[in-house]
Amino acid sequence: MNRLLASIKKELLLLSRDRAGLAMLFLMPVFLVLVMTLLQDSTFKKLNEKQLPILIVNHDADTFGINIVKGLNSANFFKVSEDNNLSKKELEKQIEKGNYLIGIIINENSTNLIKNSIKQKIQSQFPEEVGELFEIDGNKTDQVKVEIFFDPVLKNSYKQSIMGALKQFSAMVEAKLMFEIYSSLFDELLEIELKPTENFSQLVFFDEKYAASDQNLIIPNSVQHNVPAWTIFAMFFIVIPLASNIIKERQSGVSERLRTIPGSNLIGILAKAKTYFIVGFIQAILMLMIGIWLLPVFGLPSLQIGKNGLSLLFVTIAIIMAATSYGIVIGTIANSEQQSSIFGSISVVILAAIGGVWVPNFMMSDLMVNVSKISPLNWGLNAYYDIFLRNSGLYDVLPSIGLLVGFAFVCLLISLYYSRKVKT
Amino acid sequence: MSQEPIIKISQLVKKYKGSSVNAVDSLDLTINEGDIFGLLGPNGAGKTTTISMLCSLMSPNSGSIIINGIELNGNNNELKKIIGVVPQEIALYENLTAKENLKFFGEMYGLSGKSLNDKIEFYLNKFSLKEKSDKLINTFSGGMKRRLNLIAGLLHSPRILFLDEPTVGIDVQSKNVIIEYLKELNKEGTTIVYTSHLMEEAENFCTNISIIDFGKEIAKGTPKELIKENTDCNNLKEIFLKLTGRSVRE
Repeated sequence: MNRLLASIKKELLLLSRDRAGLAMLFLMPVFLVLVMTLLQDSTFKKLNEKQLPILIVNHDADTFGINIVKGLNSANFFKVSEDNNLSKKELEKQIEKGNYLIGIIINENSTNLIKNSIKQKIQSQFPEEVGELFEIDGNKTDQVKVEIFFDPVLKNSYKQSIMGALKQFSAMVEAKLMFEIYSSLFDELLEIELKPTENFSQLVFFDEKYAASDQNLIIPNSVQHNVPAWTIFAMFFIVIPLASNIIKERQSGVSERLRTIPGSNLIGILAKAKTYFIVGFIQAILMLMIGIWLLPVFGLPSLQIGKNGLSLLFVTIAIIMAATSYGIVIGTIANSEQQSSIFGSISVVILAAIGGVWVPNFMMSDLMVNVSKISPLNWGLNAYYDIFLRNSGLYDVLPSIGLLVGFAFVCLLISLYYSRKVKT
Repeated sequence: MSQEPIIKISQLVKKYKGSSVNAVDSLDLTINEGDIFGLLGPNGAGKTTTISMLCSLMSPNSGSIIINGIELNGNNNELKKIIGVVPQEIALYENLTAKENLKFFGEMYGLSGKSLNDKIEFYLNKFSLKEKSDKLINTFSGGMKRRLNLIAGLLHSPRILFLDEPTVGIDVQSKNVIIEYLKELNKEGTTIVYTSHLMEEAENFCTNISIIDFGKEIAKGTPKELIKENTDCNNLKEIFLKLTGRSVRE
């Protein structure tokens, strides 16, 4: 025990004097989490709130035009600007310049055209003997045309959402107008005056909910993604100073000297694992604290860590175990510090990229979602998502913990095998 | 001095993977307790490989090593308690102070508290490192590092001390301090096994010598005996060149 404590003390002393290593372990992740969260905040806002800028030229100052503009305004995910004096060319130019992602032109007399079409359809339902029920306004029975201009960069999913919204609003207007025409018909034919419908809204209500076990749902945002993602990334960056430490010890002859001292050779490895475990734990606490208290200072939402502290603790322990073991295996196998730092950093960056640290999994293609499953960073990130967003308990995150701990043991076994092979 | 063998090597063979020749080839050596034994040879002769096997850092392909009556096998903890190793490299932590390094290695040998602190103080004074004891050793000169490297192998008072070129590349004063203390230590009963390229130093320092080349022993005896046997040579250096040749080794 004394030897283990002596080794841990020595590792902590060495680490405390390695300024570059400390900066890599603590400053880099803080900087990364701040920058990446701020950068991705607008992307997440677009995803979650869909505040797509729309420019409308409404030439129909009647029911249809007014209701379409009102409907788009009431849907929170559009930022609607209206300028009825613009020509078609001017509107197109605004879209081309990228000032707006969508441009809409509602043509003059659209409401009358809809009314005429409805009247014609109603008329066709009655036998000819009944005669003319309405005075149809000349030949204006053409289909109403709403012109929509999209910025070419606009994703298909956004096009679908604006089209869906427009179709919904126009269907509501059509229904409202139809209701009004039937009301006037009742009044005319049966002399029954119907009361006006003040609130003509959807008859079917779609109750949207997130599938989370707890009602205190946390909506995904840039903070909820970036803080756990970069925390895991930082914990895995332990690999570089840890591997470098192992190689330095080997190259200086210290590890050989230690092997001539009675006792298990595992003590040295255990001491490094424990020291870097402490570092990883401090990193995790620091990053979570930044998410909870510092990010709101920059106008970002505060990190919500859910209610399952025990799950959070076990997942964090499993991630640090995986990260330190990965560092140990790289330090054992690599022949030089350059080799370990290049391989270590590139492999962590690749594992982070495919693991969903840079770009969240739900934004990846199906192929990449499957590829991401091989990354230990993805296992950790999914477990954090489970705890933070879905309020999952320990039982739910056990598969991720199992994968991370399994990965750690495989790495340690490889290190042991390799160090024994070298000895002989 | 006792003439009981403390180290006995029989038919020791070591062949590295991928090599076509044996680094150590059927080597037989006997080192008596209380000896200052010089294992000499040109580069690649097998000195460091032999020392590494004696310190159980490496396993031989065949042959046996018996140290203090214990045959080396997988678990050599009992043996490790009585040996001290001073490697050719400065096997110390550059970012620790002299004191921190010694404290760490002392604790690794199971020493602690006052006895360890007293030993550290004694050796730092003995090797004129006291004033710099709280400095990081990356600020030390080569000679200071060598002296500290030696102390780290002495803290647990080993019965057998293995020294792999302990005075290479250092100033005369540091060399003198090291050799004088090693002689003192030997008088107190420590057996010293030493490798060096410095023939003059070996001739004056060693009580027994074995010259090896291509993994085999090619000469053995006290320095005086070797000079007596080789009448055409005046000193150990000439004997060494005569036996191992004048061509430069890799």
